[in-house]
Amino acid sequence: MLEARGLVKDYRRTRAVDGIDVVVGAGQRVALLGPNGAGKTTTLLMILGVVAPDAGTIAICGIDLARHRSRAAECVGFAAGYLPLTERMRVREYLRMYGQLYGIEEPGPRIDEGMERFRITHLADAMGTELSSGQRTLIGIVRSTLHRPRLLVLDEPTASLDPDVALRVRQGLVEIAATDGTALLMTSHDMTDVEHVCERVLFLSNGRIVADGTPDAIAAQYGRGNLEGVFLQLAGDRESASTQQTDHP
Amino acid sequence: MNTQAQTALTPRGRSWLRMRAIARRHAYVLVRSPHRLFDVTLWPLVDVVLFGSLAAFVGTSDASGAAKASGYLLAGIVLWHVIYQSQIALSTGFLEEAWTRNLLNLMVTPLREIEYVAGVALFGMVKLVMGVGVMVIGALAFFSFDAWSLGWGLIPIAITLLVVGWAISLFVIGLVLRFGTGAEALAWGVMFVLLPLSGVFYPTEALPTVMQPIALVLPTTHAFTALRGLVDGHGLDWAQVGLAALGSAVMVVLACWYLVHMLAMFRKRGYITRYT
Repeated sequence: MLEARGLVKDYRRTRAVDGIDVVVGAGQRVALLGPNGAGKTTTLLMILGVVAPDAGTIAICGIDLARHRSRAAECVGFAAGYLPLTERMRVREYLRMYGQLYGIEEPGPRIDEGMERFRITHLADAMGTELSSGQRTLIGIVRSTLHRPRLLVLDEPTASLDPDVALRVRQGLVEIAATDGTALLMTSHDMTDVEHVCERVLFLSNGRIVADGTPDAIAAQYGRGNLEGVFLQLAGDRESASTQQTDHP
Repeated sequence: MNTQAQTALTPRGRSWLRMRAIARRHAYVLVRSPHRLFDVTLWPLVDVVLFGSLAAFVGTSDASGAAKASGYLLAGIVLWHVIYQSQIALSTGFLEEAWTRNLLNLMVTPLREIEYVAGVALFGMVKLVMGVGVMVIGALAFFSFDAWSLGWGLIPIAITLLVVGWAISLFVIGLVLRFGTGAEALAWGVMFVLLPLSGVFYPTEALPTVMQPIALVLPTTHAFTALRGLVDGHGLDWAQVGLAALGSAVMVVLACWYLVHMLAMFRKRGYITRYT
């Protein structure tokens, strides 16, 4: 479904992503984890075709992203907790527009289905600016799944959500993967999300993948009880490395 | 993914659907932002009143002078709005996405850059017709100036100016991609530089000598020279229209080249993070 090989990205003098491979099979649910600045969002943006890698190749559904971005994008959906809704549009109009951008001539039934899945049908006629951040996130996820993508990319899908809404998001994502066979690739700082939704975890640190496996296997590899322990250890290692660099230039 | 609803459309059909979706999105922006309606109603009308009154004042002592001044000033400002409206519609259409942090939402979809530009330009045509229509009616109602009396020669001139407006906005979009929304001042500023240099209301011989060679390079100068020929009753000067068309084609090629390079730089340097 997704085959990204040897991805490298430099921003001025900083190497954000350092030669990583991200391969996700059909229906797999994969989390990309790591401390701030580990290279997660840059990796996602490269996979989405918005940032060009300095080296490496990306194929989505077997389509070379660099050469056929538009065709590859038809297979992908993307939602992020921080993205706003398009202004001056009602929710249904907004979803209709994005459905059409993905080539669905009459997206009405898909919109109804998606809104029912996340129990937000009552928001159909609301203006985007009238919604809470949690409601916007849910609508963003509905938008990203209208075309039934083969790969769903999510950046912090439950950031700033109430626990009950976060639960609804997690259940919805698992359902989408199960019923539509959609592969998930998501980042999150909430380890509960990851443990509930994902069957495989890629841990990034300083632009490199330092662990790849099931949540339990990775926790065991680092001698921790859960992913949060691994996360804290990696973040601590990174902080002490950066302190040493500052102390001994 | 390949469900019936999607595969029913050919690639060209999907492309057209995406363009329509973008055009409709900008229709919502216009309808739901009353201040945006000023661009296509109030400001065009203000320009008609301003330049029409100026023409009436200049020509008070001489009836034929009044007719000529009306023709130069009113025809000039109406045709100037063809560039202005087409340029502003496309530039602010793109800026709207930047202001509302909507660029990432759009860039992850199958929407191609050319489809986006075409969709915004498509709705921009509606705004152009509204803006210029208001001016034509205003000029007729307030100053008895019938723009259509100049004949069909207006059409090739207007098309050339429309293309120049698009070329300028592609260049402005390239600048915004490269330098961020700080470059948006150019969306309006460019027009204020172009207006006097193009001889919209006067022959370029009236410009300071040092500026005349610059004016001659601009396609707009030749379009407005052709327009004054029409106002003077000399018929359409196809040589001037040809020069204007050639110049506008060169501008489009240069603007597209610049935009493609800026877009590549936008992706290479990860500038999308400015808008998330």
